[in-house]
Amino acid sequence: MGAAVARALDYDAELMLRVKEGDGASFGVLLAKHRASVIHFVYRLVQEQAVAEELAQEVFLRVYRSRSSYEPTAKFKTWLFRIASRLALNWLRDEKHERGQERLDDGSPDLPLRQVSDRRPSVEQELVYAVKRREIRRAVAALPEKQRAAVLLHKYEEMPYAQIARVLECSESAVKSLLYRAYETLRARLAYMETT
Amino acid sequence: MPGDVGRTTLLRFGWVVLLAILLAMVAAAQQPPTNPIDRWNRMSPAQRERELSKLPPARARLIRQRIWRYNHMRPEEQQALRERYQTFSQLPPDKQQIVRDRLREFHQLPQARRPVVHSEIARLRSWPEAQRQARMIGDEFRSQFSPQEQQIIRDLSAYLPN
Amino acid sequence: MNCPIQSRNPERFVAYAAGTLDPETARALERHLAECAACRSIAADQTAVWKALDAWEAPPLSPNFDQRLYRRIDQEVRFSWWDRLARTFRPMPLRQAVPLTASAGLLLVAGLLLQHPGTIAPVAPRGEIVRANQVERTLDDLDLLRLLGTADSTQSVHPDAR
Repeated sequence: MGAAVARALDYDAELMLRVKEGDGASFGVLLAKHRASVIHFVYRLVQEQAVAEELAQEVFLRVYRSRSSYEPTAKFKTWLFRIASRLALNWLRDEKHERGQERLDDGSPDLPLRQVSDRRPSVEQELVYAVKRREIRRAVAALPEKQRAAVLLHKYEEMPYAQIARVLECSESAVKSLLYRAYETLRARLAYMETT
Repeated sequence: MPGDVGRTTLLRFGWVVLLAILLAMVAAAQQPPTNPIDRWNRMSPAQRERELSKLPPARARLIRQRIWRYNHMRPEEQQALRERYQTFSQLPPDKQQIVRDRLREFHQLPQARRPVVHSEIARLRSWPEAQRQARMIGDEFRSQFSPQEQQIIRDLSAYLPN
Repeated sequence: MNCPIQSRNPERFVAYAAGTLDPETARALERHLAECAACRSIAADQTAVWKALDAWEAPPLSPNFDQRLYRRIDQEVRFSWWDRLARTFRPMPLRQAVPLTASAGLLLVAGLLLQHPGTIAPVAPRGEIVRANQVERTLDDLDLLRLLGTADSTQSVHPDAR
């Protein structure tokens, strides 16, 4: 490991190196820190909660399995989300022909949109929220897989383009292109919506 | 053929010797550790995490760091510390507390005095009891060390012999 | 500021909607938006997209997520140990190769056990749990006992210096 990489070693990578040395408790720290964001990322990508948790379990299992060969050549989070992206995108490709669009209408739990108002929503508002929920999910699900992944990493993980490129194993210019097309599509589809 | 018989005999003998050595090594490695940290290291990750999750996160994190440092001591240092802990842990609780108090007081001594006191402790720890007592009531001992230092030396040399 | 549409800089709208533009650039863009209807429309649309995505909450995790994961890890650890041991006793075609293969397997096991006696070891038998509080107290004692180990006690680690 070069001196430059050693200097830039993030704390999560240090923890992973301790896991490599046999310190299982450090694995627990990494799990507690990252499990929610991994599950949420995979969920928004595959849009099925049960599948998302299973895939997230597989992500952390792979992290644990590869502890003896782990080398901090990138930020830990980059590596973690690279594993998560690969698993989720592979699942999507495998399920593509069978799942299709109809999956969006069943299976996934009804989740509330964040409401600014403290007032209990009326029945009419609940119906509007339900439509918006479905529309957001449909809009993102309709994006090509890699565009979808790029948007989720950019929006919810707040990753810079360079990091997204390393996660998705493509060039930075490819990421810019993915995001440009993705946001253009989402603007066209969602721009009429307003959140309260 | 004589050569074949010799080779077979040698192989079998070597096999027996090798097995005996390996079994002894494995048995030695498998002796249950008495040090709680070593027993902790033998717990599964799930068990360790369950225990740590009962503590506040900051405290749990500190414990992880300290265990990591212990696990990464030089082997000879770690072994010496294990042996010292073994002796310490066999003391009755009240004596253990005396040792803790004296060690803390030792570290609070002025920096220049610590090597001197440390040398005296190391020397007296290796002496027979009668010789140790004789040294500690002598004028030379009393003039070299303050009353607090004398107490530190007396207790640590008594309760943590070599 | 150059028009983001004409200068093919659409990520500026995304950064603006996300609130990640530096204040000076944001002000310059806002001045431009006041004059450019096309850019104003895109910026408004992108802001709406950003708010819509903001409002999309993921469902809560299952309460037993960690438990299921650790169970799978424990199973993998147990399986890999058994698999390794079983492999050494598989029958070999050559009679001379059997003792060599078995001794090589035992060497591997003994080597692993001896390399990290404190850290790489079989999972502790059921019921042998060391509490985190006990670990913490032991670490405190070990820190104190280390003070006796250094030849030069000026290099001792203060128990509170963690």
